[in-house]
Amino acid sequence: MNVELLHRPGNTAAKITLQAGENCTTESGAMIAMSGHMNITTSTHKKGSGSIFKAAKRLLVGESFFLNHFDPAGKAGELWLGTDLAGDMILLDLDNENLVVQSGSFLACEDSIEMDMGWQGFKSILSGESMFWLNLKGKGKIVLSSFGAIYPIDVDGEYIVDTGHIVAFNETLDFSITKAGKSWWHSFLGGESLVCKFHGKGTVWCQSHNPKSFGRALTSSLRVRRA
Amino acid sequence: MQDNTSKADFVEIREPFSGLSYKIEGRPDYSFLTVQIPANETLKVEASSMASLDTHITMKTKLKGGFSRFLTGESLFVNEFTANKAAGEIGIAPGTPGDLMHQYLDGQTIYLQNSAYVASTMDVNLETKWQGMVKGFFSGENLFLIRCSGKGDIWFNTYGATIEIDVQDDYVVDTGNIVGFTEGLDYKITKVGGYKSLFLSGEGFVCRFTGQGKVWIQTRSADAFAAWAHIFRPVKSRG
Amino acid sequence: MKSEIKGSQAFSYVEIALEPGETIVTESDAMSSMDAALDLTATLNGGFIKGLLRKYLGGESLFISRFANNTDKTRGLTIVQGTPGEVRKVTLNKEVLYLQPGAFLACTPTVNLGLKWAGFISWIAREGLFRLKISGTGDVFYGAYGALLEREIDGEYIVDTSHLVAYDPTIKLKLQFAGGIFSSIFGGEGLVTRVQGKGKIIIQSRSISGLAGWLNPKFR
Repeated sequence: MNVELLHRPGNTAAKITLQAGENCTTESGAMIAMSGHMNITTSTHKKGSGSIFKAAKRLLVGESFFLNHFDPAGKAGELWLGTDLAGDMILLDLDNENLVVQSGSFLACEDSIEMDMGWQGFKSILSGESMFWLNLKGKGKIVLSSFGAIYPIDVDGEYIVDTGHIVAFNETLDFSITKAGKSWWHSFLGGESLVCKFHGKGTVWCQSHNPKSFGRALTSSLRVRRA
Repeated sequence: MQDNTSKADFVEIREPFSGLSYKIEGRPDYSFLTVQIPANETLKVEASSMASLDTHITMKTKLKGGFSRFLTGESLFVNEFTANKAAGEIGIAPGTPGDLMHQYLDGQTIYLQNSAYVASTMDVNLETKWQGMVKGFFSGENLFLIRCSGKGDIWFNTYGATIEIDVQDDYVVDTGNIVGFTEGLDYKITKVGGYKSLFLSGEGFVCRFTGQGKVWIQTRSADAFAAWAHIFRPVKSRG
Repeated sequence: MKSEIKGSQAFSYVEIALEPGETIVTESDAMSSMDAALDLTATLNGGFIKGLLRKYLGGESLFISRFANNTDKTRGLTIVQGTPGEVRKVTLNKEVLYLQPGAFLACTPTVNLGLKWAGFISWIAREGLFRLKISGTGDVFYGAYGALLEREIDGEYIVDTSHLVAYDPTIKLKLQFAGGIFSSIFGGEGLVTRVQGKGKIIIQSRSISGLAGWLNPKFR
């Protein structure tokens, strides 16, 4: 599977080229265009694995219920993917590692990658974001999407990331939800409130912007709706 | 009286022997178009898009496209900017974030999605109804095709970045992502039934293009963005 | 302090490296990620009353944040605006710059932020009653929705009011109708700003009102 990311970081589209016999799994709703001879099957789980139960777990996670599987019939084919919010995409090559991905950031992956939901427990709820995670593991390519530009932070010690800005991180990192400033009062007034503190050694991929802040900025100009 | 540097570093992007002098900045995310209108000539611009103007350019508002426009909620009007006695500069910024493309028409015809139209010179014909037109090309009632022909410059914008596809055999595109295409392509609209969540636009309408020609696709879908923005709309309070 | 603006025009973000002892002042909620050892304190934006005025009339936040490096190593942080768009850095050397409300992102503590009365003209133009006067010496980061484009003015020029971001103090603003009454209402242009003088202006290539205007008809 060959992935080309175009127009980064503002309006990224992913161009995936599949050779005959290759397969690709994507988030539903992501397709923009494709070669005429592409086969699509839609299912609730990855081809050859999983069950309705796993799909139901995914529903809780915030990912849409369906996954699409693409395979070109006979000859090589092209597939274009986009997202509903403008932003960046990143191609990661997993080498039998474990990656924790924020719900909504998953876009596509090769067949060889396993997908599972990891429940982070009580502490996630307090942050106010819907902090559900997907565990991706295996060997192969993954494409993640974001709102804003994606930048990596190599953590060696402790680093703080605002909760709305996390895209993915290595499972080797520990994290806790905490306050940003010296005191609760300062954190709240500084607009930061709860943030994620990572400790250990590993990489965190962050998105530069936060969809909620953008939405709030739009609110005053948008047409009123009924409750 | 004119602003100095914008003329000095004005890169002329023009095909040989044709068209107006223009510059596009801010590509591909927030493209901004600056056009030099020659003395006593007029440029048609989509309403509400003007961002900056030389002071001797005058503006007139015209009703355009006839009745069909009323239903869409799009602005009804097109503004005509005329440079009085001397050439003048106009800066145009559409409301949509994304890229801006230019085509110089010389007898060819292209079809554009209506909200993609930004500006054109007076000799380009814009029609919303023509013989053999396919009704309901787009799934939403607010979208329709405009047929552009004649001789002159036309500028259109895309929501998101633009992908130009050279169709050789056939290609399938989500209708919410189609910006425009050239004449000569055959197209068929089908609804991919049952799998509503398959496509970005959520409706499942796709267009299969066959033949030879160019299709311009935008990397984002306006419907999907509107669906996301919905929760941020202010709520009407009761009583 | 070292800074780098990344992310292109669509999603500009600023990577800052603070040396031991250095501080940076930012608008609230600007931090996207930071070294855990940095200290964050929030202070009122110019005193309580002025802060309230700034918020309700000037569009700025009530509080501003100060990030201080009280350790003995260089520490990094990344700051962004709430709305995506381009961010620019300008280094002032005892100079003055006027910013539209909401455009301010961050600055070094040696720069003065003053709220200035912009006059009723500005208020009618929906730009707010106040504008931010930045002066002194130091670095200032500002931005807006869209790409930022520079124009040199020598004489007069017309700018759509929601697209003006920053301007030199030598530029004067005047309001006028875009065309006749009919055009101004239906042509969607309404009131525009006539800028006069000799100096630089910065315009943004998109506006939130333009985006909302495009989005609103799409809602069911």
